[in-house]
Amino acid sequence: MTFILYTITEVLKGVPNTILISIVAIMVGLCIGLIFAIIRLKRIPMLSQIIIVYNSFFRSTPLIVQLFIVYYGLPTFIIYLNKQLNWHINPDIFSPLIIAFIVFSLHAIAYLSESIKGGLQSVDADQIEAAQSVGLTKYHIYKEIVLPQAFAYALPNIENQFIMLIKGTSLAFAVQVTEIMAVSHVIANEGYRFITVYSVAAAFYWLLAIGLEYIFSKMEKHTTRYLETNAI
Amino acid sequence: MQSVNWLDLLSQVLQQLPITLLMIVTSLIFALILGFILAIVRIRKIKILTPIVRLYLSFIRSTPLLLQLFLVYFALPQLLLLVHIDINHFSRLFFVILAFTLHTGAYLSEIIRAGYQSVDYRQIEAGLSIGLSYPRILKEIVIPQALRNSIPNLTTQIIELVKDTSLAFTIGIIDMMGQVKLIIGNNYGLGMLEVYIVISIVYWAIALIIQGTLALIDKRSQKPYRI
Repeated sequence: MTFILYTITEVLKGVPNTILISIVAIMVGLCIGLIFAIIRLKRIPMLSQIIIVYNSFFRSTPLIVQLFIVYYGLPTFIIYLNKQLNWHINPDIFSPLIIAFIVFSLHAIAYLSESIKGGLQSVDADQIEAAQSVGLTKYHIYKEIVLPQAFAYALPNIENQFIMLIKGTSLAFAVQVTEIMAVSHVIANEGYRFITVYSVAAAFYWLLAIGLEYIFSKMEKHTTRYLETNAI
Repeated sequence: MQSVNWLDLLSQVLQQLPITLLMIVTSLIFALILGFILAIVRIRKIKILTPIVRLYLSFIRSTPLLLQLFLVYFALPQLLLLVHIDINHFSRLFFVILAFTLHTGAYLSEIIRAGYQSVDYRQIEAGLSIGLSYPRILKEIVIPQALRNSIPNLTTQIIELVKDTSLAFTIGIIDMMGQVKLIIGNNYGLGMLEVYIVISIVYWAIALIIQGTLALIDKRSQKPYRI
């Protein structure tokens, strides 16, 4: 019993990092993902093709490989820059947590830009024409009409990506970040108490997912009010 | 800086491609079987089993695969030892495939269920009204359409499985990722970036091949039904 309590308090120490990484990634992912989605929908030459390749790469290679590439690649890149431009940056300037932020954000951008693109596409083009015909500016059309609806359409997808990101943080051990999984692996190996420790870790992830589902269901009620037009 | 022998690295990584493919194919076959069973339980709303299946799906979908892998590899043998079943001597491949099957099976069951529901229920009623038996309706009417409709989701899930196999090295399987770890060990940590670039390209290529093949199958299966 005391061991279970000890495990819970120890694993709890990993929770902040897990949450922090996924929140940073989802925020960056939503902002840059929106820009990427708009570039793809506007079919801006060059940029659009680059984004297609970018998304394809990040969606079809394992996250753990991406983590390793940035973990080993970033110092090499900085050394290269130092040589070329005579800078004097310390190659190990980035802490593991920052590297995790970078990789998870890059990963989230690829997935979220696809979700947002789907959301934007489900807004009826007639509505944009209608808005133009009453003389709204482009900025207002996006802010008042397109984005609220697109967000509502994309919300279930975004929730899914959020949960995927939380699960993905379990790989951050690869770059020496101490989150739930890394902490529990250490305690489990200390005393060969795999069943207890991993069950506790599973319970934490499960609770996080359930909590997130609850928050998003509240948000969904709020955002989908834009979509309920046939109720009039 | 010494030049990197990319081709040599590639051939070394590809040496272990068969293990990766073996894991993908076996897990996929077992996962399809598991997925069908789970989907049938939920479609037919079998009492007692349905809530259990829903709990199972929720668990699999909200905990990381790495944790599930550790639960199967470390915790399951301990658990079974309590009831005097010793599976500690089983090969690591067994545990990996078991974990991937349990994981992918849950996701596939949702895809299969969605595929079944994508076929209009009135078609089943129409089949019944002309006197076809339910198994026959499933075989001739529902399954062909459900399969066609679920190809895009299936593609995503298979690529997901390919990426998931990259975690097998964490319990000591020498697949492509395991080989990468060995190469790095042999080179005293030199050229780590290059090896990871090579392996990411291999995974990317596998994903593109799967995507292309299934897109082709999708296109051909839609052809007779296009108006």
